[in-house]
Amino acid sequence: MSQEIAHSERQRDEDVLIQVRDLKTYYGSEQLIGGRPVKAVDGVNFEISRGETLGLVGESGCGKTTLGRTLLQLETPTAGEIRFDGTDITTLRGYELKEWRRNAQMVFQDPDSSLNQRMTVGEIVREPLDVYEWKTPQQRRQRVRELLDTVGLKREHYYRYPHQFSGGQRQRVGIARTLTLEPEFIVLDEPVSALDVSVQAEVINLLERLQDEFGLTYLFIAHDLSVVRHISDRVAVMYLGNIMEIGPTEELFTDPANPYTRSLLSAIPAPDPTSQKERVHLRGTPPNPRYPPSGCPFRTRCPVRIRPEEYEQLDEEIWDSLNRLEEILEERRRSRGAVDRFREKVGLDTRYATAAEIREELFEPLAVPDQVESVLDDVSAEIEAGDEMAAIEVLQAEFRTVCGSEKPSHHTVSDSGRTSYCHRHRDEHRDPKTAFEERT
Amino acid sequence: MSIQNTQTGTEETTTIQQKVLENKRPAAIWAVGMLVLVGLEFGRITGWVVTAGGVAALIFDLFVSLPAIIGSNVGGVFGFAGDFVATGVRLVTTVAVALLLLAIPAGTVRRLLPVSPAKELRPEMPVNIRLLVDRAIVTLGLFVAALLIVLTPVGGAVDSIIAAIQSLFDSAASVQTLTSRETIPNQGYESPSGSGWEGTFMGLSPALAWALRVTVIYLYATLLVFWIWKGYTTYRQHYREADWTPLDDSIDRFRGHKWGLFGLAVVFAFLVLAIWAPVMGPTTIEANHYEPYSNEFQYLGDSGDVQSTFHGTANIQSRSNGDSNVGPMSYDDYGRWAPFGTNADGKDLFTFLAFGARTSLVIGLVTIGLSGMFALILALVSSYYKGIIDLVAVMGSDTVQSIPALLLILMLMVTLREFEHPIVGIYDGGILLAFILAFTYWPGLWRSIRGPTLQVSESEWIDAAKSYGQKPSVIMRKHMAPYVLAYMLIYASLILGTIIITTAALSFLGIGIGAPTPEWGRMIESGRGYISTQSWHISTIPGIMIVFVVIGFNALGDAIRDAIDIEADISGESATGGAA
Repeated sequence: MSQEIAHSERQRDEDVLIQVRDLKTYYGSEQLIGGRPVKAVDGVNFEISRGETLGLVGESGCGKTTLGRTLLQLETPTAGEIRFDGTDITTLRGYELKEWRRNAQMVFQDPDSSLNQRMTVGEIVREPLDVYEWKTPQQRRQRVRELLDTVGLKREHYYRYPHQFSGGQRQRVGIARTLTLEPEFIVLDEPVSALDVSVQAEVINLLERLQDEFGLTYLFIAHDLSVVRHISDRVAVMYLGNIMEIGPTEELFTDPANPYTRSLLSAIPAPDPTSQKERVHLRGTPPNPRYPPSGCPFRTRCPVRIRPEEYEQLDEEIWDSLNRLEEILEERRRSRGAVDRFREKVGLDTRYATAAEIREELFEPLAVPDQVESVLDDVSAEIEAGDEMAAIEVLQAEFRTVCGSEKPSHHTVSDSGRTSYCHRHRDEHRDPKTAFEERT
Repeated sequence: MSIQNTQTGTEETTTIQQKVLENKRPAAIWAVGMLVLVGLEFGRITGWVVTAGGVAALIFDLFVSLPAIIGSNVGGVFGFAGDFVATGVRLVTTVAVALLLLAIPAGTVRRLLPVSPAKELRPEMPVNIRLLVDRAIVTLGLFVAALLIVLTPVGGAVDSIIAAIQSLFDSAASVQTLTSRETIPNQGYESPSGSGWEGTFMGLSPALAWALRVTVIYLYATLLVFWIWKGYTTYRQHYREADWTPLDDSIDRFRGHKWGLFGLAVVFAFLVLAIWAPVMGPTTIEANHYEPYSNEFQYLGDSGDVQSTFHGTANIQSRSNGDSNVGPMSYDDYGRWAPFGTNADGKDLFTFLAFGARTSLVIGLVTIGLSGMFALILALVSSYYKGIIDLVAVMGSDTVQSIPALLLILMLMVTLREFEHPIVGIYDGGILLAFILAFTYWPGLWRSIRGPTLQVSESEWIDAAKSYGQKPSVIMRKHMAPYVLAYMLIYASLILGTIIITTAALSFLGIGIGAPTPEWGRMIESGRGYISTQSWHISTIPGIMIVFVVIGFNALGDAIRDAIDIEADISGESATGGAA
């Protein structure tokens, strides 16, 4: 398998524009007092070939925008490298960085916020040229007018202000600005999500036309899956700072390998009202990226999480409650401060629910098997003793599997080199697709 | 902007010069009008230029003397190591500080150079190093030039050239103007024949002549402001490329703001009073207030003949102190017109108040200028870089705010006055007060604009600018400052009123501006005892004026806030449109 990866990598090597290795971007770790960083991007590997469009999808807050910004060095990566045409741009400083910036630009989500409203459209589009002192001021103005033409605006719009344009036109101004320096690579950060649906198509078509005309390479960030499917050559699915699955678009959309991709795609409404497609409901919200789950990042919400042999047939709802219980205990353990511990010691009321209350809330109407019940009794005892850590350990000793104890690896799941980040691709487990069919 | 006649092909851009050349008429009309207006007051305007030059020279001198001061201070520290070492350290420090100071203008000079010295020497040098080397070379060049001026006779030649230019300006500044006292004189005496007045404008009574001059001043000032406004509208209508700018909407909103227009009118009246103070009063401040015993004037004596006396002597007879009184809109016994009456010393109240307006304005502007500039720069830098710089700024401003302002003012005013520090000499402590107020006001200003600045710093256009490598200083100036300036304008006009009140209050308490510099608060204080007598006007008139001016500045601030419509500005949600 590893041989295969090496082979396909060598094939693409010549026209790879961007190569990302173990990229990590953490926020908030510069606090004066220790503190855990937010792991916005947590070890990401991928590459983008020249002239290709890589779609990047995921829920809000999964780190896709941070990834895009890190690629442009708008954020400083915590670790890892980004090779652009062979140079590691994370090591560039000062003048070299400024020179490199010409090669990579960004189109922002909200054209209201990405254009300075105190400047005319002409000044906005011209500013990059001014920064690099490109030719003479007159030639710059000339070039700006040509660019306005290129993106479908009028040349006489030079002296208009952003206020005077519609959302779609403003986004065209933003696109014109990114094109000024003739970059090779453009990060499109949800470029159409703030626009009307009717305008979205026009802007998408413009972007495609420009890609053909100038041979641009795109990283297309979006949460709208149908747009991504339309424009991307390959798609990367991100969850909690990790790329869960990455591969050619059609293949990924028609036959998703990763459980998360599968859940995400099932959220696309089918245009056919009679469709009986089984929807996979993602439970809860994504975990706090400051405290990502151990092992697989998706395990707390995964519909096909690997279960211990003896609990394979346990009811789905009980599993949910068990997951919730672990989350609650984790949260309590983190938030319990010295004051709470003191209040407990002297027998004052704390703001925490008792073990009985928690159990009642989580497990009340469910028919909990005796085996689980006895584990829960042990857990309750530990909670009453005020030791959440021990309670968690009891839970984990009984229910934890490889999903919680080990980080998955990226398994190649098809001939095209598509990879998926899931334990279920290991030989000893059933693959996600089979598991889905069984569970639903 | 230079027009380069390169092969421009389908060049569609016309510069403003070209536009003016194509349509000369409106620009010509405006320019002629402006020339006439400037010509009418040529002497006065030149006088302003001379004053501005004097201030600039003062600041320049400060910078020039900085290396020597720092050098001798640092050298003095090494005094223990013997004369030789101390002198060496002093020399080295002086040169180092001088080089550092020269490196600041060197950046600008480098940009003006047609060639790059470093590129001539070594073409293969990387650009970033080349810029540094260029700057170093220019700095050295400036240093050598400075040495030449200081150490060789060249300095003397430069000095005499400057002196010649100065005297040229000085003589131009003394040219009589439309609003000069000499053009419409109001000081005279009743002619013994009883046929009117001698020495006044066209034989009018001093009251009428004075009223005429004040009217002419206000008319002229109004016309000047109108003509500048007209210049803007001419530009907007005929020469501006953009058919709409966000400023247009703000101006339109302001024009519909009645309360704001009232404020503008009051502020305008105040500003004109302060700016034209020397010719506002029925008499000059020197003759009436500063040196009443060196200036004589003529009057019609009781015996029917023209006599002459000192202002000081006449003042004693014209006191308003409850017993005797020269009230508003009346003549004293010497035929001197007192529009606002006289004060307890018999000096003309109006002349005093006109110069008091000037004092208030100077203190207000210096305070706002210094604290506003500092607050703005700090807000931009701290919200652009955030993190530790922001933290230091927060702590710094908290520290300053924790100092009781009144105590600080008292302490500094008293101690510096006792030590007769040179700064106390300017405006009798006025400038010192302005500096102290600036020091105590910047944290408040900074806090007020910190929020908006942080908000702007989160805009995506900042990220966009970073992504194409724009310099931080330019990002702050171009992409952040315009949005914060709106807030600055509002707070500045509000605080200006507060400063005027504070100054007056401090002077009232006797710790602000000392005599003899005219100050409204001190006049209120000096008339306090006569408020229930017939001499009520001494305290009342300046009090009412302060109230009006402060209300005016507040109204102006309100109107600016409404006109700029900041909400729409930063969030960009409620686009006010314009012709799309």
